[in-house]
Amino acid sequence: MFPTRRRMLEQAGHGFGAMALAALMDSECGAGVSAPHHAPRAKRVVHLFMAGGASQVDLFDHKPELIKRDGQPSDFGEKVEAFQNGLGPWLRPQWAFKAHGQCGKMLSETVAPLGAVVDDIAFIHNMSGKTGIHSQATYLQSTGFQNPGFPGMGAWVSYGLGSLNSNLPAFVVMPDHRGYASNGPKNWDSAFLPAQHQGTILKPESKNPITDLFPGKYGDFLGGGADAAGLGTLSRLNMSHAAERPGDGRLEARIASYELAARMQLAAPEALDFSRETPEVLRLYGLDHGRASFDREINALEETDAMGRKCLAARRLLERGVRFVQIWSGNDNGFPRRNWDSHEDIRRDHGPLALGMANAVAALLVDLKRTGLLDDTIVIWTTEFGRMPSSQGGKGRDHNPHGFTTWLAGGGIKGGITLGPSDDFGFRSADKGRPTLVYDVHATVLHLLGINHERLTVRSGGADRRLTDVHGHVIEELLA
Amino acid sequence: MSLTLAAVLFLQAGVPPWWSREPLAPAKPLPAGAHPVDSFLLQRLAREGLKPARETDRLTLYRRLSFDLTGLPPAPEAARAFAADTRPDALERAINRLLESPSHGERMARLWLDVAHYGDTHGYDKDKLRPNAWPYRDWLIRAFNADIPYPEFVMMQLAGDKFPGAGPGGIEALGFLAAGPWDFIGHAEVPESKIDGQIARHLDRDDFITTVCNTFLGITVQCAQCHDHKFDPVTQRDYYRLQAVFAAIDRADKRYYPDPKTEKAAAAAEKALESARAKRESLAGRELALLGPRAKEWTDAIARLSKPAAGADPRSGWHSGIHPGPKHAEWVEVDLGEARDIASVVLHPCHDDYNGIGAGFGFPVRYELTVSDNPDHAAPRPLAVRTGADVANPGLAPVPHEAKAKGRFVRLTVSSLAHRSKDYIAAVAEMRVLDPAGANLAKGRPVRASSSIEAKPRWARENLTDGVWAGNDSNRKGDITELAAKLAKLRETRLPKEFQNEVAEADSALSRARAAVDALPKPSVVYAGTVHNGTGAFKGTGPDGGKPRTIHILKRGNIKQPGEEVGPGGIASLAHAPAEFNIPAQADEGERRLALARWIAHKDNPLFWRVIVNRVWRWHFGRGLADTPNDLGRMGEVPEHRELLDHLAAWFRDNGGSFRKLHMLLLTSAAYRRAATDDPAARAKDPDNRLLWRGNRRKLDAESLRDAMLAVSGTLDSTMFGPPFMDFVITHPAHSPHYEYDLFDQADKKARRRSVYRFIVRSQQQPFMTVLDCADPSQLVDRRNETISPLQALALLNNDFVLVMSRELAARVERESPGAAGRVARAVELALGRPATATESAALEEHAGRHGLASACRVIFNLNAFAFAD
Repeated sequence: MFPTRRRMLEQAGHGFGAMALAALMDSECGAGVSAPHHAPRAKRVVHLFMAGGASQVDLFDHKPELIKRDGQPSDFGEKVEAFQNGLGPWLRPQWAFKAHGQCGKMLSETVAPLGAVVDDIAFIHNMSGKTGIHSQATYLQSTGFQNPGFPGMGAWVSYGLGSLNSNLPAFVVMPDHRGYASNGPKNWDSAFLPAQHQGTILKPESKNPITDLFPGKYGDFLGGGADAAGLGTLSRLNMSHAAERPGDGRLEARIASYELAARMQLAAPEALDFSRETPEVLRLYGLDHGRASFDREINALEETDAMGRKCLAARRLLERGVRFVQIWSGNDNGFPRRNWDSHEDIRRDHGPLALGMANAVAALLVDLKRTGLLDDTIVIWTTEFGRMPSSQGGKGRDHNPHGFTTWLAGGGIKGGITLGPSDDFGFRSADKGRPTLVYDVHATVLHLLGINHERLTVRSGGADRRLTDVHGHVIEELLA
Repeated sequence: MSLTLAAVLFLQAGVPPWWSREPLAPAKPLPAGAHPVDSFLLQRLAREGLKPARETDRLTLYRRLSFDLTGLPPAPEAARAFAADTRPDALERAINRLLESPSHGERMARLWLDVAHYGDTHGYDKDKLRPNAWPYRDWLIRAFNADIPYPEFVMMQLAGDKFPGAGPGGIEALGFLAAGPWDFIGHAEVPESKIDGQIARHLDRDDFITTVCNTFLGITVQCAQCHDHKFDPVTQRDYYRLQAVFAAIDRADKRYYPDPKTEKAAAAAEKALESARAKRESLAGRELALLGPRAKEWTDAIARLSKPAAGADPRSGWHSGIHPGPKHAEWVEVDLGEARDIASVVLHPCHDDYNGIGAGFGFPVRYELTVSDNPDHAAPRPLAVRTGADVANPGLAPVPHEAKAKGRFVRLTVSSLAHRSKDYIAAVAEMRVLDPAGANLAKGRPVRASSSIEAKPRWARENLTDGVWAGNDSNRKGDITELAAKLAKLRETRLPKEFQNEVAEADSALSRARAAVDALPKPSVVYAGTVHNGTGAFKGTGPDGGKPRTIHILKRGNIKQPGEEVGPGGIASLAHAPAEFNIPAQADEGERRLALARWIAHKDNPLFWRVIVNRVWRWHFGRGLADTPNDLGRMGEVPEHRELLDHLAAWFRDNGGSFRKLHMLLLTSAAYRRAATDDPAARAKDPDNRLLWRGNRRKLDAESLRDAMLAVSGTLDSTMFGPPFMDFVITHPAHSPHYEYDLFDQADKKARRRSVYRFIVRSQQQPFMTVLDCADPSQLVDRRNETISPLQALALLNNDFVLVMSRELAARVERESPGAAGRVARAVELALGRPATATESAALEEHAGRHGLASACRVIFNLNAFAFAD
């Protein structure tokens, strides 16, 4: 009956006892890890997720063989089950590739802006998933499990390391402004971790960037200082209530939560206020176009603007101590397409999405480097699966869970390298038996943050759960 | 530690003993007048040198009881009456009153829905609506209000359909099995023949057995999917035997008739239809034999030609708008450029796997073809009229219409649309307008339509005249029409007259049987664990007569590495009853579930009783005796009070499994009535209050907090039962619904029912409820997290719902107290179930005076005194 430290920590998760206050307050050590397992190389993460399945062979994974065999009947040398009718003839990359940087990495012209920072990037071309179904595949990349009910990577990091600031959430998510990707907020859920670790949705383009940050239309009775006076009255009454009820830390924690809320009301709009940014920075992110509206058809200018805003907001949030920023590109299925699920036409959808992404993400990397943040910030670019090197009979490609590309840059990552590789067609890992899995990427990111992925565990459903399930190896070749 | 006889037996059998699996002895008699809960607890407190806290005051106790038993705050009048009631049985009377309130069932049902991971959408990709989940929720409310004995309560949820006397509840209760998330894409778009489809179904069964075993047995059976359980005696064989119990069922809508007479008639009609269908199919087999091998060849060729070739041109055709019923006129028209001589119009059907439809997708059921020389189609002349009777679906065969006319605008007008999936559409792949020389005048000509789903490349207006249609691949040999004609001819010559008569008789019997089924009244529907009778990718086992799927032990849980086949059974190490069910292969699949239900809800199954009393204990005391309600195995918590838990489990079993009696027993204990005070010395020894030396202050859960605001402001709509209310707006309903909570107006009175009636979305959970730690409907929640965060503070300060409720509470007390004096006092008493303290009165009166009553009410809803019940 006499609690161990571990039990006390568990209880903090359920809010009982004095630990609740500590769990709520800012501290470098969160509830999960009392001290880093080893010296960290990074403190912060930016996770860029291309929803729908970004095509490796059209963006990053240069395959001359595919160009040569364009239009010939595809042959995978094994039985392949396609999600739709994706086993048409080989389809060449839809853009020309060119060498970039000192490393000479071949990049497609639709992501050419990333050429400016390619020497900081480590590519993994032999990523493999488990399923060609969007939902399960997206869960796998975002939470490490194929089914719902598990915390997102950012929630684990928030739980493991706590917050770096006292005014903003530790884990912030910027969904595509047009809608959620497959699974929606379940991708950044806290699941069985305490709710404060779930990703807080932030909409840089909205007047109320965080849900309920300020009262809406029904709060019209709160004019004339009523809001502030109400907080004062509330605080006084709660304090006198708590004074009569000693021995329950939750009461004080709840009083403190209102103070934190008031601080967040100031901090969040400030973090999203671009007016203090110099014209050079706005130009860097492609936000100097002066346009108030965009064409109806999908276009690179609008995509650059949308991603640019999120990336600039990310840099400002990182500067202010947000630990984990997740940015989504692409909403879920629907017509017209505004995601990477290019079954019909790679050029039409991937073109503007990829160019907009590349403009914005290149700017982010340049900016992080300029401000020194890149030294201890990890940037990950990923998607739920890749696309087939064959066509679906037309100009589109089907899902390919067997092979896709993920890349990383920043704190502790060796830049200008390429791991993998994939086979001659970019279909799957060249070494078929040894693809890189999402567990390995997660293990590596946690490792760089000073966490041993096998030791960050939480009991749930009868098992000690971790981000990497029962898998994962740190990818040593990636480490600087 | 001394071993019980049972433990010794377990040891001999090679299974290590564990407290929760040991047999449950009958409850030992206690000294006269002793309360079982207190007699155990006080002994322990004395032994640990802990002094129990005083009894709490009556108003606090009543607020505690009210939230625990009904999930609602007490009416001030009822609280005052209880405080003034000096009769010795005042507490029992109060508890009984609350137990008899219909709100009691609502409270209990909401607690149970956490365990069942109930939701009103499927979750996963697209997160489609599940409109028929709620009858299960209603069944729970009725079951708790009727105090159904626990074994019956459980058996209904596993195999209610196997208890003929159970009535509609026996079907509705099966909603338990289906309550969790369901992978729509993995089932409805990926067939069982594909690996991904098999994985989806395997994971679906995993959820069935995980839910059942965690809920009723406190065993984490899911840990034995890839290898034997590492901590508890559950083997991989046990795991897959349990999967075999559910091998025939899926999650699907199940139809039923609340009236038993109609139910019987419906069953008979459906059985008749099935046998008529079987008869017709057997004739088809015989026919093929009589016709010889060429007939088989042609039949196969027709089937092959009814599918587009792999890698076929994706441009399908024209697709009209989508309508809720068939009777919506749609038209599509080709402009030939000038008046031309027309000899015939040929329509080519589409192919689309949507809802398993395939060939003939969306082909109009009734339509006409007209020609006009006017752009507005004035003065049309008929080319072909097919409006008198339904047109049989042509599959992929082209449908020619001979004509002799001249004109410029050729229009297809559809008067009866084709069924798709709960909705209606028209779709045509190609319209060819042939001149007397056989040239296609329509090719590449512009198309107009009353509506069109423009989803390129598949669907577009211009696809109607692009020369591309399913089955028009030059590399494929054979013509469906020709083959069909050849078959018909063969039939005429080869089949004896008697046989033809027999076929005709079977056809007419089949259509009579179909008509009888169609004539049945509209059934009720519940989303349940059931044999599914589907088409396309999601067939279920219905087409195989509900025959259970074969279940293999999967090496490392890998669907691609099937090992030995297993039959249905329980967990072998639980020795209360044989774990091998020995059900004959040809038996109805329900026998498997029934056997499992009996094996679980067994009088001698110790886990069955321990798990439930531990759960109920947690509902009332805020912490389980073993605070891992879904896991009483080695990875779970060992109870501080094993004897108490065992005594209660045996008592519950021997008192008929009545929840009400159990509530009464627990709530009349002194332990339940203790004040939530502090004692630093006791806190140092037992900080978690595991020995209940004081009362636990409970933080109101999301539903209680929301319902309390509605009740306190006087706006609670207490309508019970029926479809859930939606506090969001759905956009993009056709493809993947988006649930937009921001677009819902919280002043709308339709969202003022209790939270148990809320429409629960899995993917986009209600932000206000979620930030207040409401259960995640994708997870089995035996304990909710309890958090305190700035986002929670922001929600309670600024969410539209709270702002509207603050105004409503202000309006209520203004209505009820004509003078300004007493309004604040009334608001506080309504919210807190007790009169305001002097400090509260002074501060809130002052605030109301300066900033208005609504602002003061908003402060009240944010008080710790409101958010917690002492």
